[in-house]
Amino acid sequence: MNMIKFLKYVRGYLRIRLWGFSPERFMNLCSNRGILLWDIVREGDAYYMCISLKGFWELKPILKKTGTRVAILERYGLPFFIPRLLQRKIFILGLIAAIAFWIISSFYIWDIELTGNLRITEDIFQSFLKENQVTVGMRRDELDIGELEKEIRRQFPEVTWASAKLEGTRLKIDIKENDAPIVVEKPETTAGTDLVAECDGTVAAIIVRSGVPLVSIGDVVEAGTILVEGRVPVFNEDKTVREYTYVDADADILLEHTRYYTEELPIDYIRKEYTGRQKEHFYLKLGSRIWKLPEEPPFLVYDSVMKETRPLALEKLNISVFWGTVTHREYQNTEHDYTREEAEALLNQKLMDFLADLEEKGVQIIEKDVRINKNDTSWVMEGAFLVREPVTGREETTRMDMGETNE
Amino acid sequence: MRKKNDCIRETKKEALIESLKFPKDICMGAMKVTLTGNREAWIENYRGILEYTQEQILLQGKSCQVCFEGNGLSVDYYTNEDMKISGCIHCVRYS
Repeated sequence: MNMIKFLKYVRGYLRIRLWGFSPERFMNLCSNRGILLWDIVREGDAYYMCISLKGFWELKPILKKTGTRVAILERYGLPFFIPRLLQRKIFILGLIAAIAFWIISSFYIWDIELTGNLRITEDIFQSFLKENQVTVGMRRDELDIGELEKEIRRQFPEVTWASAKLEGTRLKIDIKENDAPIVVEKPETTAGTDLVAECDGTVAAIIVRSGVPLVSIGDVVEAGTILVEGRVPVFNEDKTVREYTYVDADADILLEHTRYYTEELPIDYIRKEYTGRQKEHFYLKLGSRIWKLPEEPPFLVYDSVMKETRPLALEKLNISVFWGTVTHREYQNTEHDYTREEAEALLNQKLMDFLADLEEKGVQIIEKDVRINKNDTSWVMEGAFLVREPVTGREETTRMDMGETNE
Repeated sequence: MRKKNDCIRETKKEALIESLKFPKDICMGAMKVTLTGNREAWIENYRGILEYTQEQILLQGKSCQVCFEGNGLSVDYYTNEDMKISGCIHCVRYS
């Protein structure tokens, strides 16, 4: 139904008033000649109806034949609207300018969207794009998507898959980072390495996978002692050494020893105290350019908070126009002393971080003894931990000359 | 006498059309009136309008006339094939 209305509007139609000798015959003749009439209403002696513009031009013989007269009341449709529109020159110019602006701006990239990045930050990627001359506001045809994808993979080895596509005026870059651990391939032949104690302690556990163990559980070792040797002797039948093969010693060894930990915290510290006075400034950002009103330093000591927004409509249209406010907040630096509770809380937090770090390395804590004391200038936390720590120290195996061993 | 003969001829024609399963409105040139409640009427197979006022619309068919009586009657559209009448229809009379 709306389609018919639209077609009628495009072709144009008239509202007419009809009166005279035989209006009924007029209607019959119109229908016979294929002239569409609609919304026919009779009021008094006159009939009111709508007629297509094309039909109206064919009315003359019918009017003569039926002795009726017609008057135009209203004109509707494009054939009447367009000439009126064309009289408004400024409007037409504006319309043309708007269309031209729309077409021209569609030749440029107005937004770059990055998805799938976990470890590569947006800033790093932005600077990478800048280096490759891919920026907001560049021409679409200057962008070589295939080359960009290759360059992403070349520049970031952790990116396993990269896809760039243009959606309208938005450049969408989708990357996938390798989340599997990077496997370092070991060379097949090795010069051999020993596992060496990094500190003094007692061997609490030892499981050897490759190499020759030189210590056993309960042995007290010093720092630098070889625990598992990477030189494995191959014996002859008469128990003499025929040759040595060299391997990377591999073993799970737990070394029990005492670790000391000290942490200091100065007695006093400087705290920002906001005076409550603050000033707001507005700014407008277009691409990478920022416009703001010239301003003098508002306070002697202050910090600033920026808030930036882009209206949803501009975001949807990929127009990189932002506006925001900068709030300058005045503060004073004041000196404070830590109370015992504050100092304890801060030091405990540091201790927790330290312990968490140890646990991450696979260190087992057997006993702990921690004290917090205050001296003239600082709070001091001292701790002694009895720990079982995995041995990771390595040294190259000293090679044995075969000539000597055979003798 | 002539009227009676006409009537007999019409009945025979109707029976023939019925047996051949032809659409009656086209073959007999009968007017087709579709009423929706008493507010709207669609009419096909008519010759033309004989009279049109807000109270009465008289249509000429091939073999008969149909008169719609009511209040505020108006013709929504009028073409060679069909027309639509809307308003408050009180009575449809054939003559």
